Amino acid sequence: MKRRVHDFWLHFIMIVLLFLTFFPFIEMINISFKTNAQFDIAPWTITLPLYPSNYLRAYKSISPYILNSIIVSGITLVGVLFLSAFSGYVFARFSFPGKEILYYLVISLLMIPGVLTLIPLFMLTKRLNLLNTRWALILPWTAGGQVFGIFLLRSFMASIPQELFDSAKIDGAGDFYTFWYIALPLCAPILGTLGIMNFVGTWNEYIWPLTVLSDVKLFTLPIGLLTFQSEYMVLRGPLFAGYVIASIPLLILFALASNLFIEGLTSGAIKA
Amino acid sequence: MLNNTTLIQDKSTVIKKSIWKDIWKKKIYYIYLLPTFVLLIVFSYYPAFDAIRNSFFEWSAQGVRYYVGLGNFKSMVKDTILIASIKNLIILLIFGIIIGLSVPIIVAELIFNIRNEKLKFWYRWLIVVPIVVPGMVVLLLWQFIYDPNVGLLNGILKVIGLVSWQRTWLNDPDIALYCLIFIGFPWISGTNTLIILAGLNNIGRDIIDSSLIDGVTGFRRIWYIDLPLILGQIKVLLILGLIGGIQGFGPQLILTRGGPGYSTMVPGLHMYQQAFLYNRLGYACAIGLSMFIVILILTYINMRYLRSSIEYEAK
Repeated sequence: MKRRVHDFWLHFIMIVLLFLTFFPFIEMINISFKTNAQFDIAPWTITLPLYPSNYLRAYKSISPYILNSIIVSGITLVGVLFLSAFSGYVFARFSFPGKEILYYLVISLLMIPGVLTLIPLFMLTKRLNLLNTRWALILPWTAGGQVFGIFLLRSFMASIPQELFDSAKIDGAGDFYTFWYIALPLCAPILGTLGIMNFVGTWNEYIWPLTVLSDVKLFTLPIGLLTFQSEYMVLRGPLFAGYVIASIPLLILFALASNLFIEGLTSGAIKA
Repeated sequence: MLNNTTLIQDKSTVIKKSIWKDIWKKKIYYIYLLPTFVLLIVFSYYPAFDAIRNSFFEWSAQGVRYYVGLGNFKSMVKDTILIASIKNLIILLIFGIIIGLSVPIIVAELIFNIRNEKLKFWYRWLIVVPIVVPGMVVLLLWQFIYDPNVGLLNGILKVIGLVSWQRTWLNDPDIALYCLIFIGFPWISGTNTLIILAGLNNIGRDIIDSSLIDGVTGFRRIWYIDLPLILGQIKVLLILGLIGGIQGFGPQLILTRGGPGYSTMVPGLHMYQQAFLYNRLGYACAIGLSMFIVILILTYINMRYLRSSIEYEAK
């Protein structure tokens, strides 16, 4: 009996905390179905009829930003996954002079904070004539993203039994073949984890895109939302519908791969 | 004697030759690593060294640059905005660390002690879901919550009859900084909670059982058994919190621009503005370098101090 009372309070506190966490998001969805008139009369309660047309309107403005984000984060993701896996494979499976030194040159970059490199990186981007291009995001993000990836993948690749590679070598397989057909499939789960982590990271980034992009046509979702917000400041319904739409891509990803998501979010810290 | 030295010399040249031969023989592996290193040298190493070098230069975006020695660092000491921003940062860090550690520990303990496995799973799942909402949307939502005219916060205060408590929130220099801290209330970080929860799940069943036999339950168990055993996870969260907290200026950049006045200014934003608003790139690099050094020192202290206390616990 005493235990049951005890558990009741645990659930009670948990539910209150979850309610407070979700309350702004619930209001976001609620307001997204309102007209301005409805918002003025009853901003926080549900008002009928609902206006799903707000979503159509918001989608027209938001969708180009989502597309830009998918392009930039997508290309970065492919680059990071390939370089992490391949360089991790080279570091794990071959021996050559200076290997450890080179490896430490890579992972020592984990210590370098973004705040140190922000300004020189901007000037470099400017000198390379990459300002206001997608490459200004893709190249630095790929360079930075692979560091943790190589760290993660090297230890994983090193744990694959050598016999698997030997038998392929006897059959005359080259380095690329063994990488692509033996090492890579075995690493699929950890690549999924790394991929989610990387994708969510670049998807949410806004300081760097705000610094190097000036053409609205190239804006990624987070900084596009700022433009969107200033356009729809007075149209509450579509504004909040836009916020909801902005949350949907990662929600889909989460629904498809919530396990990878949860692992990805925690592995970064657990390994550190 | 003479023979001996020539022999050693011979030997060393042989070793040298064989290393170069070995490198040449294995050149393909260096070629494999080329894409990684080209990207790292251009976009990571070069900017890092450039930042250190330019901390000693006056530098503008137009490319004008001249050596000023420690001039930038001397200006930093006299920079009243920077000093104000450091004070703000210390407040933000203290609250940030307390919140960032205590809430995940509380939530993880709640979930850990709930015995209904199904609900346990759902709670774990629900605390992670908010991660799908982009950080920018969260910031803009809270901007709306704090809106003096139509915002949720003043709206609630009106409904419960506390009109006199209404504020302009982010526009009030006395409380703007605390409004930024309050963003995200009740601050359940799904990531941090899961990290702590993983630590709790690693505590052996036998330890928990024996503590039960000894009558160590509830808060006493949390304090004397759980916390010492998840010190590793706490250390990780502390280091990550410090590194992120010192550098962070996103909410300030989007919501307050450091204002009103300099009431929410932080060193990161000051650096950003010095570079991109006032064209003082060298000075900004010097601020960035100083922050990097502070981060390094704090990380070092953190690792040393907390490691020794773990060893102490182990006795």
